[in-house]
Amino acid sequence: MNDLTFSGMDGVLILSAYAVVMLLIGYFSGRGDKTLHDSMSNYYLAGKNLGFIALFFTLYATQYSGNTIIGYAPTAYRTGFAWLQSITFMTIIIGVYLLFAPRLYVISKKLNFITPADWIAYRFKSKAVTILAVLLMLWGLGNYLLEQLVAIGQAASSLTGGTIPYQVAVIAFVLVMLIYEWLGGMKAVAFTDVMQGLVLMVGIVIFLAGAVYLVGGNFAGATQFIAETEPAKLGVPEMMTSVNWLSMILLVGFGAAIYPHAVQRIFAAESERTLKRSFSRMAWMPPITTGLVFIIGILGIALIPNLDVAGSEQLVGLMANEIAGINGFFYWVMIIFFGAIVAAIVSTADSVLLSFSSIVSNDIYSRFINPNAPERKKVLVGKVTGIFAVAILLWIAWYPPATLYEIFVLKFELLVQVFPAFVLGLYWKRMAAQPVFWGMLTGAIIAGVLTWTGHKTIFGVHGGVIGLAANFLIAVVGSYLVTATVTEEEEEDLKKIDLAYRREYSD
Amino acid sequence: MDNRPIKEPIRKKWIWIVLVLIVLGNVPWYMPAGSYEPLILGIPYWAWIIVGFSLLLCAYLSWATLKHWNIVEDIEEEEKRRKANE
Repeated sequence: MNDLTFSGMDGVLILSAYAVVMLLIGYFSGRGDKTLHDSMSNYYLAGKNLGFIALFFTLYATQYSGNTIIGYAPTAYRTGFAWLQSITFMTIIIGVYLLFAPRLYVISKKLNFITPADWIAYRFKSKAVTILAVLLMLWGLGNYLLEQLVAIGQAASSLTGGTIPYQVAVIAFVLVMLIYEWLGGMKAVAFTDVMQGLVLMVGIVIFLAGAVYLVGGNFAGATQFIAETEPAKLGVPEMMTSVNWLSMILLVGFGAAIYPHAVQRIFAAESERTLKRSFSRMAWMPPITTGLVFIIGILGIALIPNLDVAGSEQLVGLMANEIAGINGFFYWVMIIFFGAIVAAIVSTADSVLLSFSSIVSNDIYSRFINPNAPERKKVLVGKVTGIFAVAILLWIAWYPPATLYEIFVLKFELLVQVFPAFVLGLYWKRMAAQPVFWGMLTGAIIAGVLTWTGHKTIFGVHGGVIGLAANFLIAVVGSYLVTATVTEEEEEDLKKIDLAYRREYSD
Repeated sequence: MDNRPIKEPIRKKWIWIVLVLIVLGNVPWYMPAGSYEPLILGIPYWAWIIVGFSLLLCAYLSWATLKHWNIVEDIEEEEKRRKANE
């Protein structure tokens, strides 16, 4: 992002205000709860007691990051109307949740799950499957966290016009995040998400208002300009792009819904009603979030034409500069908006970090290293490992990669391979551990190799989706071939997760 | 054992068939590549169609979530009321 001429000390002021508010929320959410640090469920899942407002906003602020603005507006700028896909692929996540969340919620309450791997371990009783799933999840989370850290630095340093250098910005906000997360765990994360989600929503609307003002309220004029200069950005995309569009829906839908931190929000819900209401509202968020960001990108084509790829990555900063120049009101609003972008990135990073820590606590330390440790110690191990992980990622973040969108696709490719085990296992008793393991491994290798050899897509289909198809095939065919030898104990366990004994509505 | 009726989306095939159809409508594979006219209020005709399907998808998922998912809600809410009355 470029240096914004409109800011400097004003930006520092606003950023500091955001930081203070986050710390205060973290402090108050952890205060008075003496059991918070003594139980994994309390620390990592807010005691499985998140109400509607907190749950909705933590889903929102986690799913939509600052990236949604500073990464997606440039993509809309470069691809044109084909980027309408960003509405669909964010909406479909709710559809994928509907596939598994209803039953998983019930089971997770019954069996007191902390992490997604609890479910995998319970269902397949296989160390190999659990470890592979844990590794894929940690890989996905680590990569995701790295991307957020890079974005924090870029957004904060550009907001303050370089007054706060990139490195200082990253370290300062990471410290703020670590402190409030240490103090309040999931509670702090969820309550800060309420603040962070709200400013993000409002920020996008005001930014769009500024952009519309700049084109003189004449959207048709803007598209007319595009029609004259770059008609390809207006036209129906080629078939290959449509295939890629569909592939993106599958990749993001399946991937984002089974992100560990996304799944943990199902576990953390206070009740089924709360969870349902939150999802039902979330289904409407894409049009007013990625949809509005899409319009901002399109207006950008008319406002600041002819940017190359690297230049277009600066689009939001460039537009913010122009909007801030309108008058004093927009000047301050733009500074607050950039603060909101930083806050939105932090709100995604904190959830990812918390999930990362919980997996270390629950799936590595508690499951394999020291199962008999007191809960307090397990929580502590996760917290401290989280800090080390952030330190390592920060070291990598000093050399940020070129464009944000590239790494966004990368992190889904491997993570999504957990999907067949995770979801099919819920409903299909015959599904067996061995084929699941080989499917997951094959899928991950296909996705990894294709991506790393530069074949991110083949005929428009993402490597992760091709891997996922192979993964499903191996897991399903393999499970039919393996002779089912189910022990009595396993039979009992499967009964516990079977809801079929209850009569269903026939409507 | 509880015999209360439950609703679970996975058990209703039609929910998923309709979902796939709406998603297919969300991707512009069925329109001639490169065309964008007529522009209506500055927006290409096909984008209106895609936006329409996008909103339909939002509405459909929002509705299905509320109306076709009820596994333990009644039990939980009853328990909550019971606790509140104690």
